[in-house]
Formats: sequence, C-alpha cells, structure tokens
Amino acid sequence: MKLLFDLPEKDQATFDASVAEDEKVMYCLPYNFEGEKRVNGFVVVTDKFIYKLLDGELLFKYDIYSLSEFSTEVQYGICGFYAKKDGISTLLCLFISGRNLPRYAVVATGCDLIVKHGKKEPLTSNEPERFCPKCNRPFVAHTKICPFCQDKKEIYKKLWGMTKGLRLMMLFPLLTAIIAMIFRFVVPAVQRIAIDKYILAENGKDHITEFFVIVAAIITFDLISRAINVIQGRLAAISGNRFMRMLRALLFEKIENLSMSSIQKKSTGDLMGRINNDVSVVQNFITNLLPTYVAQAFSFILALILLLWLNPFMCLFVFIPLPFAIFFITKFWSMMNKRNVHGWILAHRTNIYLQDNLNGIRVVKAFGKEEQAIDDFEKYAEAQAQKEESNAKLFDTVFPFVGFTIRLGSYFILLYGNLMLFGGHMNVGELSQFTSYSGIIYEPLMQITAIPRNISAFITSFSKILEILEEEPDVADIEMPIDIRIEGDINIKNVTFGYDSYNPVLENINLEVKKGEFVGIVGHSGCGKTTLINLIMRLYDVTEGAIEIDDVNIKDISQNALRSQIGVVLQETHLFSGSIRDNIRYSKPLASNEEVIEAARTANAHDFIMKLPQGYNTIVGEKGLSLSGGERQRIAIARAVIHNPKILILDEATAALDTETEKLIQDALNNLSVGRTTFAIAHRLSTLRNADKLLVLNRGKVVEYGTHAELLDKKGFYYKLVMAQRMAELAKQD
Amino acid sequence: MTDQELNELDENLFSVRKSIDLTMENSRFFRSEGNLISLELTKEDGEIETFERIVPVRAFPLSDPDEFISIREPESKEKGKGAEIGFIRRLSDFDADTVALLNEELDRRYFIPEIKKINSLKEKFGYCYFEAETSAGKVSFVMSNPMSNIRILEDDSVLMTDIDGNCFSIHDPLKIDKASYKKIEIYL
Repeated sequence: MKLLFDLPEKDQATFDASVAEDEKVMYCLPYNFEGEKRVNGFVVVTDKFIYKLLDGELLFKYDIYSLSEFSTEVQYGICGFYAKKDGISTLLCLFISGRNLPRYAVVATGCDLIVKHGKKEPLTSNEPERFCPKCNRPFVAHTKICPFCQDKKEIYKKLWGMTKGLRLMMLFPLLTAIIAMIFRFVVPAVQRIAIDKYILAENGKDHITEFFVIVAAIITFDLISRAINVIQGRLAAISGNRFMRMLRALLFEKIENLSMSSIQKKSTGDLMGRINNDVSVVQNFITNLLPTYVAQAFSFILALILLLWLNPFMCLFVFIPLPFAIFFITKFWSMMNKRNVHGWILAHRTNIYLQDNLNGIRVVKAFGKEEQAIDDFEKYAEAQAQKEESNAKLFDTVFPFVGFTIRLGSYFILLYGNLMLFGGHMNVGELSQFTSYSGIIYEPLMQITAIPRNISAFITSFSKILEILEEEPDVADIEMPIDIRIEGDINIKNVTFGYDSYNPVLENINLEVKKGEFVGIVGHSGCGKTTLINLIMRLYDVTEGAIEIDDVNIKDISQNALRSQIGVVLQETHLFSGSIRDNIRYSKPLASNEEVIEAARTANAHDFIMKLPQGYNTIVGEKGLSLSGGERQRIAIARAVIHNPKILILDEATAALDTETEKLIQDALNNLSVGRTTFAIAHRLSTLRNADKLLVLNRGKVVEYGTHAELLDKKGFYYKLVMAQRMAELAKQD
Repeated sequence: MTDQELNELDENLFSVRKSIDLTMENSRFFRSEGNLISLELTKEDGEIETFERIVPVRAFPLSDPDEFISIREPESKEKGKGAEIGFIRRLSDFDADTVALLNEELDRRYFIPEIKKINSLKEKFGYCYFEAETSAGKVSFVMSNPMSNIRILEDDSVLMTDIDGNCFSIHDPLKIDKASYKKIEIYL
C-alpha cells in the first residue's frame, strides 16, 4: 500500500521552502475535504514536523513531538485524522472516501512510533492495493488485475505457452472450420454451372447425364462439408476438454500448494469460481468461439473478394443497408440486454426473498405473519412476471424484423439483378451464385455485437487464472530442506510477528519447551494464542527471531516433514466425506485396522463408534451421518494421533462442548499428551489443570509463565482470569 | 504486571458507564480549544464532569437524523470504543448555538451528498462507473454490485454506496430528470 504520494508542483515548492535539510520525509497522504468543500490537499509527515498543504499554501506546520494519540475516525461517508496537540484533541484533516482510511491508519501508528520511540524508519504495509496505480480504477475483485491497463499481448503470449502439446489438436478445429467454409463457397459455384449450362440451356436435355453428375457433385460436396463439421465438433470436444482438465489440474495443484496466508486472503467461493467458471470461459473461448470467429472472418473476406470479382457494382447493394442494419442490431441487443438484466435482477430478488423467508419460516409462523409473507411474495413474483412477459413480447415482435433488415441488401440485389437479367447483362446462374455469397456475408453480422463482450470476458477470466498460477508462495522451503525425525524440543527465540508489519500481533516471545512437556496457552481473545501455534506449524514465517525444533530452525526443515510430524486438533473440526476409518487414517492412509482402533481408543471414540450400526464403516461428512460436536471432536483427535506425532497442537479443542463430553475428551487428551510435546489453547481454564506449564499472553506479550500452582500463588494476571471465570460460572449456576 | 495495569483490567472487565438523558439543564456543550466540542455535565448527584472532547453519533442517520443523538467519548486505541455519556432526544430541545455547534461536528462525520443528475453510467468489467452532479459538486465514482449497493429506504429515497464506502442519496427518485432515472431504474 502506497504511503508516500508525490506532491503536486505548487505544494512541493511551498513544502521545500519550509522544510529543513536534515528532515526526513516519512509519509505523504492526500486529503480531500476542508470547510464543507471537496479539495485536493496533502498531509506530509517528516521525522520532526507534520505539514498540511493545500493549493500551494501551508495550512499548518506542527512539531510532531507536541502531538500524541494519533487516531483515525470514521462515521459515515467521511473520515478524519485526529491527534492530541499539547493534550488537546485536534482535527488534522478530513478525507472523503474510505479508500485512504487504511493508509491513514498505518500513518497514525507510524506517527505514534516516531513520537514515542523515535522510530525513524517509515512503516510499510503489506495490505494489497485494491486500485490500479496507473488509472485509479478498481482491480477485478480479489485480484491485482486492472482490465484497462493490463498488457493484452502478454496474456496472449502466456496463453500460447500454455497450449504446448495441445496445439496441433487445437489447430484442427480451426482448419476444419475453414475447409467447411470453402465447401460452402464451392456449392453455389457448381450450382451456377448446373443452372446456366443445363437447366436453362436450350439443349439441356441432351446433357442429362452430365447434369446428374453435377447434382451428384453438389450432394457429395454437401455431404463432405457436413462430415467435416462432424469431425470438427468431435475434435473441438476432445481438445477443449483436455485443455480444461489440464488447466483445472494446474490450478488446483497450485492452490493446494499456496501458503496459508495467501489462501486466507481468498474466499473459498472465489477459488471455486476460478477453478470452475473461469476455466470454462477460457476453454469455451479457445475451442469454440475463437475458431468460429476466425472462420467467419475468413469467410467474410473470401465472400467479399468473390462478390467484387463477380460484379463490383452490384456488390455496392450488399453494403448499402449494412450501416443501418448494424446500427439496428446493436441497438436491439443493447436494449434486450438491459431488459434481460432487469428481468434477471427481479428474479434474483424473488429468490432472495424466498430464501430469506423459508430460512426464517419458524419466526414467520411464531409471529403469525404468514399473510404478510404471502402478500410480499406476490409482489415480487408479480413484478418478475410482468417484466419477463414484456421482455418476451418485445423480443418476439422485433426479432423477426432484425433478420429482415440484415437481408435488406439481398432484396436490392434481387431487384437490380433481375433488371440486369432482363437486359441480358447477366444470367440466372451468376445471379444465384451472387445471392448465395451475399447470404454468407450477412451471417456473421448477427453475432458481431457479442464479440467484444466475449473477448473481454475471456481476458478477465484468463488473467484471474494466471494470477494464481504465477503467485509466488511466501512460505517456501529452502533449497535443500532437512528431513528430520522430530524429538520435540522447541525453542522460541525473540519472536516478533504481525500479519501487517505495522501491527505486531506477537512481540518478543521467548519460550523453551522440553520434549514431552504440556504447555497451556491462555489469554484474552485476540492476544495472539492462535497466531503463536500457527507460527510453530509454520503456516506463516516469523517477522523477527526464530523458532527451533531440536535446535534446527524450522525454516530449514521441509514443510512436508514438519507437518507430517505435528498432530493438530482445531475447534472447528472438519471431517471429509467418507467413512470414519478413512477420516481417522487421513494422515496415514496405510494404517491397519488395529492402529485405527488403537487411535480411536486413545481418543475415547471407540465406544461411541461401536454403537453405530456400521461401526468404523459409517459414512460421515457432508453426505453422511451427522455426528455431535463431541463425537466429531474425538474422531479429529484420533486423526491427530494415528501417525504418532511428536508435537501435538490443540486449538480450543474442547471449547464448543458441554462439561460431560469435555471430561471424556479431557481424559483422551491426557492419554495422548504422554510423551509428546503438547501445546493447548483453551478458553476454559479448568481444561488446562494438568498442564506442566502455563503461558499467559496479553496483547501479544508473555506476561506470565509457570505451573498452575505457581501462577495462582503469584496472584497476578492468571489469578485474575481464573477468578473472573469462576465468578462467571457461579453466576451461571445461580 | 503492575497494580495499575491490573486495576485497568478490572475496570475494563467490570465497569460500565450509566447513560444519562442530556438536556439544556444538565449539559453545556462548548467549543473546545482544538475547535472540537467539549461537554460539561452536571450529574444527578450534582457532581460536574468535564469531557475535553465528545463525539455525537446519530441513532437513525438516514430516517431521523435530528433525533436520538448519542453523545460519546471518542474512540482510542487504549480504551477501544468510546462509551456513551448520554443521549439527546431531539436536537431542537437545545438552543440555536448548541444546535449549530453539534451540527457542525455532525457534518464532519456524516457526508451524504444529494445526487442532482447522473451524467453517465457505464458498466465495464463488473464495475459500474458513475459520473454525477451532486450537492457537493461533480463527482465520478465506482460501484461494485449495484444490486446491493443501490437501495431504497423506508421513505422511498435512494441510497447509493460506492466501492470506497462513500454515500450518495437521491431524495425523491421520481423527481430527478428522466434520463438520470432511466439509468438506475433497473436497480430500483
């Protein structure tokens, strides 16, 4: 995200006049509201002063050390940058547009750091830009693609590179389309011969056999051209589907290998959209639309040449109605499009209403609002029906005449041609050939308006695919990663980490854990507990410091080796569609039945599984039996331990359960943490009674570390947390 | 951990300020030294509390902007969301000077220009590009998904939200000129 904008000339001059030589410009941001008017001003922060500039005028220059508590505020449609000047709240500037809000938020933090810690290095922000730096227009949602500025040549080049191995197969549809086209030109020519030489010739009857040959030729040509069409269709189906499969596999492979941080920036829906819709759009364009367009352009040019060659003057008649026809078609489609969109919007509204109402039908019934709901639905359905009816009527009325306008030229030709015929300047065969070719010229016109839309849809979809394919993973293995057998000593040294550099979630964490120790991590929500274990799993790389396992920096261990030796149980357990057995042996697909049962016993899951009629073969997941939260959790625990990991991570594994189930799971956890280095996050502190050590975090810092008893004796932060929770529990019991 | 920090934690966990009905009698709003608003509040027990800066927040910014205004402490990184000090039922209960002072601050926080005319609306690559004349001058803005970002409010006025969270309103869409209306008609 850009935090240092360029000043316009006038402001730059004013700024230069008042800035000292040894001052370092840290940030420069635009603001655009002053005294109830839109303006174009700038706020410049140096390591000594804050300047506010507007149209070459210096509005203020404050000593930055006289300011404190920098903040941004936003209410509705307008945001403000505030600070305290000598203890008095002051407004520094106002800006319309939330676009700059994240920038000001970073700069506010940056200013605080200058004032409090004398930090002279400007902050940078990893937050992705949502707008094209060149033209200021928004990127395509969830991407960094500006459809206006991107290099289209580059994209076609990459597409070309991607079709390696499929090129020959993809060339075929194109070739066959052209060959089929040529046959369409041959048939009228042969027809002309048939008409002139035999049908209308005075001695036509004498050449009856030749006539039959000609007819047979016409039939053969037609058959061949259709056969070619069949081949073309089949080839397009083959190459299209292969290309699509290749692209999908490539995309999926890439997505699976992306780091957690970049996956979290994308939504599941967006990724699915890219794998399904965008790939289809690209495939359809390459294998269907592109060959059609090329063949049509080819036939248009060929027909044009032939028409000019046959009769240049009559050719004029073909083009006289063209501008009018194109204008009419464009208008017609744009009107129909708009109306269809409106119809679609209304249909969508009906859908939303239905979904909303049916999801909340219990509420509707409980409040006796059925009548009103029926009335509301009627309104939506009525509006939709009316619009769709009027659209259909208009389409059915106008569409037949669209064809008429396009063919207007052929009527002129017919008229003029007949006049020529009567005058003896032309014969019937020639006229017939001419009319056939002019028909070919008109054909592509019906679709001409859809071409730009299809091309831009293709480019957008293809760039979205490219963006994923070209993304550099930000958590990557080093060149020669080590595959170690983990023992379980973990050493966290001076670790600082933030998802954004200006906002550290963890600061200076130091922790030494011996192998086999059970460490409980506690603290308020948002204090960095989950972040800490994410770092241990190396879902993210630390910003500063290092995490070592058995004295090896985890950045040097291959990610595969690392994660295959860590067992994880999360609060949200996801079971895949499949049998319980398959879910338990997910991390070790070749595990024997004994191992599966052993793991299930350790997780206290064996008993409930045996009560199911299909035992370990019961299908769970999306289409299977729905298990209770506690049951799912225990399966997840069995899954986490079957490969006998040396490090076990439990992230709020028991938070969503009632006390009795928790007890069962608690026992299970106690069983399996034996001999394993275990990190457990728990909201309910009683869960961590058996922990060897407790790590208490507050606002990203370690505040206490010790055993349960030690920390209670200390009567510090942990003691307060325990007391607060006991009070809450007592209150609940009352 | 120091005692002071522990006390702060206690405060955050257990204390809640009680909101008071603000009237001409118990509250005096005045311009602060930093050109913002200060409040001198006389509590029920006669104790006077002064706030260096307060922030007015509308409860019904769209339907009833001049009623039910919450007076709050400003947000800060240390304390988080500002707590409510009290409530103003109706702005008109106060004298003209106070109303002017509060409105000045409200204008700094709520900015919804009225659209007078839509010069052009183009849809390109999934975004709608608007060019319009508003009560705050000529503006061009970009909107994503007009289906959910153009909405009709209870009083039939139209509220449009652009990609940056800026808002525009059309008080009576039927009174705007026909060409402008036609451009957004399908979303209404």
